[in-house]
Amino acid sequence: MTTAESTLRAEAPRATASARQGFHREGRAAYLFLAPSLLFFCIFLILPFLFAVVLAFSDWGGFDLGTIEWAGLKNFSDVLRFDGTFVKPILVNTLLFAFGSVALATIGSVLVAYCIDRLSFQGFWRVLYFLPVVATVVAIGNVWKMMYQPAGLINGILNKLGANSIGFLSDANYALPAVTVVHAWASIGGAVLILTAGLKSIPEMYYEAAEVDGANTWRMFWQITLPLLRPSLLFVLITQFIGGLQSFALIIVMTTDGGPVNATNVAAFEMYQQAFKFGAWGTASAMAMVLFVVILVITLLQLYVARRRGEETS
Amino acid sequence: MRRRFPWFAYLVVILGGVAMVMPFLDMVMSSFKGAGEYGVLPYKLLPESFSLDNYRAAFEQLELVRLFRNSVIVTISVTVSVLVTSSMAGYALAKLRFRGRAVIFRFILATMMLPPFLLLIPTFLIMLNWPLAGGNDLLGRGGDGGLTTSLLALILPFTVSGFGIFLMRQFMVSLPDEMLEAARIDGANQWQIWRLIVLPQTKPVAITLGLITFIGMWNEYIWTLLISSSDPDLQTLPVGIQLLQSFLDPDRTMPIVMAGLVISTLPVLAVFLVFQKYYVRGVVLSGLK
Repeated sequence: MTTAESTLRAEAPRATASARQGFHREGRAAYLFLAPSLLFFCIFLILPFLFAVVLAFSDWGGFDLGTIEWAGLKNFSDVLRFDGTFVKPILVNTLLFAFGSVALATIGSVLVAYCIDRLSFQGFWRVLYFLPVVATVVAIGNVWKMMYQPAGLINGILNKLGANSIGFLSDANYALPAVTVVHAWASIGGAVLILTAGLKSIPEMYYEAAEVDGANTWRMFWQITLPLLRPSLLFVLITQFIGGLQSFALIIVMTTDGGPVNATNVAAFEMYQQAFKFGAWGTASAMAMVLFVVILVITLLQLYVARRRGEETS
Repeated sequence: MRRRFPWFAYLVVILGGVAMVMPFLDMVMSSFKGAGEYGVLPYKLLPESFSLDNYRAAFEQLELVRLFRNSVIVTISVTVSVLVTSSMAGYALAKLRFRGRAVIFRFILATMMLPPFLLLIPTFLIMLNWPLAGGNDLLGRGGDGGLTTSLLALILPFTVSGFGIFLMRQFMVSLPDEMLEAARIDGANQWQIWRLIVLPQTKPVAITLGLITFIGMWNEYIWTLLISSSDPDLQTLPVGIQLLQSFLDPDRTMPIVMAGLVISTLPVLAVFLVFQKYYVRGVVLSGLK
């Protein structure tokens, strides 16, 4: 992004006196080229965003815009009440789901990308890990739902090993971890792709120098690979967190209603149900705003920590 | 040096690879299981005889042809639209000089940061109150469903992509100015330059963007579920298949669902495998810039 901005600045002075006439005509052409996109953003981005903000502060049940009423912070105080269900368990579930799947997917993808980088047929392995990204969430959700059944693949393996069957999706203790694992499984492929590209950009000579100094593989991984992989790793962490905090398609497919008893209910799903099951636009929009702020805070926190760490090591 | 300890690397990658492929294998195998073979203990991966009954049932109960048609219409329309609008806007931001360019570019970057769930409710209400659609008057009132009863409702909210504009712009910046200048001296207008000089050269990035959009739309679920909940004629493959599963006895229908999923996954898998090189590059490009 910094390169993009610097080229913008470097090109600006080119509009010298001789070119000024053309500048005018180019401006008209440019806005014609941009018109469809700008019109779209007005209707499907700016307008809905403002509408979402208004809704979060209003009391409105039906579809008639005439009955919309200003409610102040009431929706927020309803949503954030500690004896309600939104903060606990729903927001807590959201964080557990996001943290859990990001941790699993990051550790998994670093390990896999590091190993793939040492093998031949790298393209084949990357495509293999990328398969879940190509499949629809309906396929992923249903296949795993099937594998989690009492007579499914995973319990079949457990039984072979002499363990008892587990009701992965029916037992409130297991349901959230069960869907978290699926989300992590589905997002490893994208992370592996970005991390292998990051690994390729680490110069071979660093490893050679370390080897001359007698470092073992373990130390090289911690002292060379991980620090130099940090930009790609940060990108993976931030995008996966943003994805994990707002994703609920998988949970709709696997549990239908966020059950058993809210055990797998997450904030974006609760917003969806409040809005489209109960028509509580105001409450739902307040939930959306709260989740938006949570995502923003977590993203900024990661950037801040990354920058602090960067200053320490360099 | 990097090739040291490959046995350990092979072990990790192969074990992980099995975990990646097993669910898909289970999906395909279950779709061939005959009556009374699914959902019985002990679990068996392979079907006793490869039965095609589930595929027949999928075609009968699912109206697969209609779902397929809707999926194709929506996916193709959105992909074409995103390609055209992104390359137009990308060209303006990369190669034309005009007041407000930096501001608009920054705005495009900012659009990518708004999470989709935030816009879900208001966008639905906007579609519902769309002026002059579905019996609505000029102010969007009085009608029955507005735009939500038309396939347009599934297409319109995805017709422009901030990410697409960004990707195109980044690629077009590196095209040589001299060539565009030469065309201008020969008397070509901006439209002709875009159409005849710039577009042919953006082929690789256009394939990348087209593929990402195609796969994303083919698999789109939440918005389509919402819009088609009042009008089943608008269902696409993922939504139609999922609804079959939730209504009937799961042990009986799951194998049929699996058959439907195999059919719906094959086209996108084929497209991905043919163009995977471009997809990989697109993800990397968007990740590291």
